[in-house]
Amino acid sequence: MAAATAGGRKGSWLTVALLAPTSAWFLILLVMPLAVVVIFSFGARAPMGGYAAAFTFEQYANLPSRFAAFKNTMTFAPLGTLLCLLIAYPLAYYLAVKVSPRWKLLLLVLVIVPFWTSLLIRTYAWIFILGGRGIPALLELIGIEGVRLINTPGAVMLGIVYGYLPLMVFPIFVSLEKLDKGLLEVSSDLGGTPLRTFLQVTLPLSMPGMATGCMLVFILLMGEFLIPAFLGGGKIFFIGNALVDLFLQSRNWPFGSAVAVTLVVIMLITVSLYMRLTMGKSTGRDESLM
Amino acid sequence: MSKNYKDNLPITAVKFMEEFRRYRKGSVTRRHFLGVTGLGTAMAVLGAAVPGLAPRAAHAYGELGDRLVFSTWPNYHNPVNLEEFTETTGVNIQVNAFGSNEEMLAKLQAGGAGWDVFVPTNYTITTYVELGLIQELDLSLIPNFDAASQNPVFAGPATVNGKVYAVPKNWGTTGFVVNTKQITSGPKSWKDFFDVTMGAGSGHTIVHDYQLTTIGAAMCAFGFSFNSIVPEELDKAEKLLIDAKPHLFAITSDYQPGMRSGDAWMSICWTGDGKQLNTDLPEMEYVVASDGGELWSDFYAIPSDAPHLTAAYAFINYMQDPYIQARDFAVHGYPTSDSRVDAMLPADTINDPILYPAKELMDGLEFGAAKTLTDPGRAEVMARFKSA
Amino acid sequence: MRLYAIAVYLFLYVPIGIIVLFSFNSGRHASDFVGLSVKWYGKAWSNPFVIDALTTSLIIALSVAVLSSLMGTSAALALQRVRGPMKVLFDGLIYVSIMIPGIVIGIATLIALVTAFDILNPLLASLWPEGVKPAKLSLGYASVIAAHTLFTMSLVIILVRARIAGMDRALIEASQDLYATPWRTFYQVTLPQIFPAVLAGFLLSFTFSFDDFIISFFVAGANTTLPVYVFSSIRRGITPEVNVIGSVVLFVSLTLLIIAQLLLRRRDRR
Repeated sequence: MAAATAGGRKGSWLTVALLAPTSAWFLILLVMPLAVVVIFSFGARAPMGGYAAAFTFEQYANLPSRFAAFKNTMTFAPLGTLLCLLIAYPLAYYLAVKVSPRWKLLLLVLVIVPFWTSLLIRTYAWIFILGGRGIPALLELIGIEGVRLINTPGAVMLGIVYGYLPLMVFPIFVSLEKLDKGLLEVSSDLGGTPLRTFLQVTLPLSMPGMATGCMLVFILLMGEFLIPAFLGGGKIFFIGNALVDLFLQSRNWPFGSAVAVTLVVIMLITVSLYMRLTMGKSTGRDESLM
Repeated sequence: MSKNYKDNLPITAVKFMEEFRRYRKGSVTRRHFLGVTGLGTAMAVLGAAVPGLAPRAAHAYGELGDRLVFSTWPNYHNPVNLEEFTETTGVNIQVNAFGSNEEMLAKLQAGGAGWDVFVPTNYTITTYVELGLIQELDLSLIPNFDAASQNPVFAGPATVNGKVYAVPKNWGTTGFVVNTKQITSGPKSWKDFFDVTMGAGSGHTIVHDYQLTTIGAAMCAFGFSFNSIVPEELDKAEKLLIDAKPHLFAITSDYQPGMRSGDAWMSICWTGDGKQLNTDLPEMEYVVASDGGELWSDFYAIPSDAPHLTAAYAFINYMQDPYIQARDFAVHGYPTSDSRVDAMLPADTINDPILYPAKELMDGLEFGAAKTLTDPGRAEVMARFKSA
Repeated sequence: MRLYAIAVYLFLYVPIGIIVLFSFNSGRHASDFVGLSVKWYGKAWSNPFVIDALTTSLIIALSVAVLSSLMGTSAALALQRVRGPMKVLFDGLIYVSIMIPGIVIGIATLIALVTAFDILNPLLASLWPEGVKPAKLSLGYASVIAAHTLFTMSLVIILVRARIAGMDRALIEASQDLYATPWRTFYQVTLPQIFPAVLAGFLLSFTFSFDDFIISFFVAGANTTLPVYVFSSIRRGITPEVNVIGSVVLFVSLTLLIIAQLLLRRRDRR
């Protein structure tokens, strides 16, 4: 690439300098804690909770006991991601393509402003809306009785979509925003219907953004625990809840570490598979999608 | 000046109790109560009139610093007490609330928590001592604590191997609260509790999200010990809990909102919450189960690495004052084991069945055991129940 | 399409409306609406812990956003030139730092830092001059900022890289062919193109840090951030004070936004 060769030796010094802080960060705050987690995962639970030095595989052998939590997560995460995508994409498209540049920033930030009021407060608002005094009470006014909305899988899904929407909107927006409107015009000039324009021009060009958004949402969903705890009434158990329980309630840190390591490995595999699949569909001569 | 401190109060004891009762019922605001009883300026007034009663003793500790980190339970304090401590000593109190002892233990075990005072329950103290997370108290720095007026049943767990590690705060029971408007069958035992959960109360019951009380309740329903860690009994309890799970409204220790909003009709409950609910909504009945339950007492303790030690002692001393304890009680409704406080309460409080259950019921209750807290078997059962 | 957008915004803001409504609740319990009153605003304002928690969260979130935007953008650009095993390594680290659940990184970072401090503090104390109280490493602002930045920096890298992926390389080549220095090329060609991604990264980083609960819960030491305070408040028997906090944050951010919008419009008109 011209950029790489033109820099030469000066370029590689620059590269190192630019990467140095990031590398230091990774080393101290990721590698070190990860090492702790991996070491713990081979240890044993101290009699009163916590970690006792040992080398054993019993924690990994015990993994199947949390299968239900894993199953729950693997059901809600893809579904939630898909719902988020379906709801976020039209909004991102509207903001990127249809809105005049004057209002773009404002409307975009308006998407994120609700998320500066704490997630906990917003969730409590949903608990009220979905609870006995909220929508069910309104429904009772028009004669529909006994509707239970809170502490159901539906409530959890609602909470997920509500909580992850901006994370999906932003990358798609970023991707669509640099869409050359000229391309759209050309496409319609050449006789393409709006649908065709969308499918063959817009959608492929927004793939990087979509992929980024889906990846982020999916990955973060795998670690989610507050939403199922609050909106599911503690009855719906995600892997995140299992981890919180293991670290804070049972205080079985070795087993918690084993679950965490397994979770991260599974996520790594899923993500690399996904990237390999979508790489083939990307446009442009870039080596990496992300 | 008379020797009896009651003679020098700005208000007579009888009138005080009347106002106190009205305040508890919510008929008057806190401001009115404080104004009428003179408690709002009590510290200044009393401090001048009665040496030894005021927390002026706090200044004898020397430099207190400007903050105190205090970890406690929800709905467990009168904000007025905390505000006044800050006013008289200049120490700001940062309050953290936890829903279970396991969480407190986890945070202290992980290290770096930076707490100065916390409120452990009786069955955790030996564990904290063994793990070296708690420090022995120097009782000479807590003159307001009077060991002689303490009920040894509740104060006992604070002493481990002859050393005192904590001073008592409140005691209580764990039973369940029932919305009698919705559930009319009058459940009286844990067996009834689970029967109603899977029957008339289906979809409207709450159990706690930590293992001691939830598994304990299931154990009692079978007639086993609340603290049992016998594997066969654990299996039966687990099966009952998993069968009941689809009928539950929620698994949480934050049950007041659900009960208040009418979504939940029955919940495992602690004394004080039962009292608060009953006071606000008379149809809420607090039941101490006939087949057993938990008796517990909470304490004030200081972690080994408390950064503000003098402030911690000053605070604990302040909170041990009988007046302060009575004022706390007025808001949270949990009884104390201090006979000096009992002497200040009106007769109908002493006879309140929620706060002081009948002897037959009390006899069936057990204190939580340390080994129950740390037993991995019980922890696993709870985890499997939650993920079922 | 516009209707759809309006519907989505409504969806986003209905709970917010509830929060604001309840902040004016005169009753004690946040779930029973009793009457209208502004007393909780007064109480929240005079509560030193609310102010303390809010300030802490703001300082931390701003630092995190700035740090991660700077480091993340530099790293994203630098990574364009990296190939082979190094690239795989970095990609792996970036993804793991995002994938690792908050609870795990929270506890692991806590233990790693506490252990490190236990080793480093005696060393520091021995190096310090006599009579002067030695510096002591402990959990606090720095540990939270550091832990949050790990995640948000990777977030920025991913966002900027996605943008770079679709960038027109021809422009950069043209700029270099015209003998522009690398800095100039960056400043006048690359940066404007990736700016939306950097901005998005900045905003998301701020949001993530400001709203984070679980990591702050573990590594903040004795400090309290706003979400930790709210969580504790909710546990203590949620009063409308909590809603006041949410409403105030909302009003302030909306005001800032409107001001920013007005400023931008004035600049456009010039």
